[in-house]
Amino acid sequence: MSHIHIDVQNVSFGYEKGKEILKDISFHGGENDAIGLVGANGVGKSTLLKLLVGLNTEYTGSIRVEEIPVEKDMLPQIREKIGYVFQDSDSQLFMSTAYQDIAFAPRNYGFPEEEVERRVQHALEMTGITHLKDKQIFKMSGGEKKLVSIATILSMTPDIILMDEPSIALDPRNRRNLIHILNSFDHLKIIASHDLDMILETCNRTILMADGKIICDGPTKEILTDKILLEENGLELPMCMQHPVIR
Amino acid sequence: MSKIGNAIHEIHHMDLIAERDQWVNAIHPLIKFVITIVYIAVVVSFYKYDILGLAGMVLYPLAGFILADLSFKDSLKRLRIVLPLVCFIGIFNPFFDRIPVEILGIRMNAGVISMITLMMKGVFTVLASYLLIATTTIEKLCYAFRLLHVPKILVTQILLTYRYITVLLEEVNRVTQAYALRAPKQKGVHFKVWGSLTGQLLLRSMDRAGVVYESMLLRGYKGSFDYIGSKAKVRPQDIVYLLFWIAIFALCRKVPILVVVGNMVGGLFV
Repeated sequence: MSHIHIDVQNVSFGYEKGKEILKDISFHGGENDAIGLVGANGVGKSTLLKLLVGLNTEYTGSIRVEEIPVEKDMLPQIREKIGYVFQDSDSQLFMSTAYQDIAFAPRNYGFPEEEVERRVQHALEMTGITHLKDKQIFKMSGGEKKLVSIATILSMTPDIILMDEPSIALDPRNRRNLIHILNSFDHLKIIASHDLDMILETCNRTILMADGKIICDGPTKEILTDKILLEENGLELPMCMQHPVIR
Repeated sequence: MSKIGNAIHEIHHMDLIAERDQWVNAIHPLIKFVITIVYIAVVVSFYKYDILGLAGMVLYPLAGFILADLSFKDSLKRLRIVLPLVCFIGIFNPFFDRIPVEILGIRMNAGVISMITLMMKGVFTVLASYLLIATTTIEKLCYAFRLLHVPKILVTQILLTYRYITVLLEEVNRVTQAYALRAPKQKGVHFKVWGSLTGQLLLRSMDRAGVVYESMLLRGYKGSFDYIGSKAKVRPQDIVYLLFWIAIFALCRKVPILVVVGNMVGGLFV
């Protein structure tokens, strides 16, 4: 088994007793996996991602990140290994400038300021936003905020990246840029999204969820081209596979 | 722009001017904080009738505004709510203190002098505080507090309160905008929906604040902020800046500097 991996076994979770959002979820993500997490609204994709970083720990079953169990006592170690990009960039970015926000994590992990600066610069270069270094967050467009959000986790040099709807609210150029960034990241990544075209371009494996369960787990090309399977679970074929209707 | 929109804009604007690449902005936050505290202490220490001595203290805000390239007009606009309140404090002095005095050849009630002195003290201290926050970011200020051993929890509270103000205001803005769009003929919010609106606002703000906090946790936040990052050291020029102002304040406290300068300038023409 490779060093970087996530192992989820028989995980169930609900915010209220008796109302399970996730039901008996099991999967394994290895070092070079790029996993697309797809499913209709409310099937539990975001909840599953939050469990993986320990934002909720009252689940049943077992979640292990690089052999470390996701439990309250182990959270600092786990969170050092995982970068999580929130759906809403406004909630992720809370400092005044891009630099301050990207430097937040390395500073918290106690790196000397020269190392913090090197990491921030590297994260800015990876996301192609060196020109935004000193820009105020509130002055940024939605696309710029999303790229800064990604840079904030890259500065932690995580082994694993989790993203919740990363392409939401991005214009085509920013979306294309995001796809390039995602493809340049070699380690394990799990992306929850409704943007099936993006999943098709960035993920080699797809997990299809419905009603809190994993319906199907396999190669992206097989799952996202199966029209019947997708429609049965509240989805449609990716746009690139549909015949365009021009009015 | 709505009032709330304006308030959000003002907060962002203050952040922006505090981060400018100005000489005064680059001075160590602890030095600026100490100077401000000393300035306020000296200003309030003037005797209530020592209007001429106090007038000399205008030098610091005056020089500060010029050095920091701050617009005095914009600043007065921003302080338009605080300044009248500060000025109001001494408004009854002329009625209680009726001892006649003569100053610069003008006869008046001592109460008028003490009222003007009190107003000047208020305005000077507000301007000095404004100068501090307009040239120092909240992170740097909090860093200065930590250097002064203000408890970590209190400093974190100050920093997060400042950060969360905009979160709350943005939510208020969204809710009131959505309301206004569907109630075009109403001024303000109808009292019948105050309850649900406030409830919604509270829940949304808590939710949003919760996500922000989660985001902090995921990036290694353990209850204490690294307020400035660079852990800037006090430079020799910072010390010179501090000593210079302390000397000026001491001088102003001892001699009515404006009168002395006035006599010197006047003497040239005699």
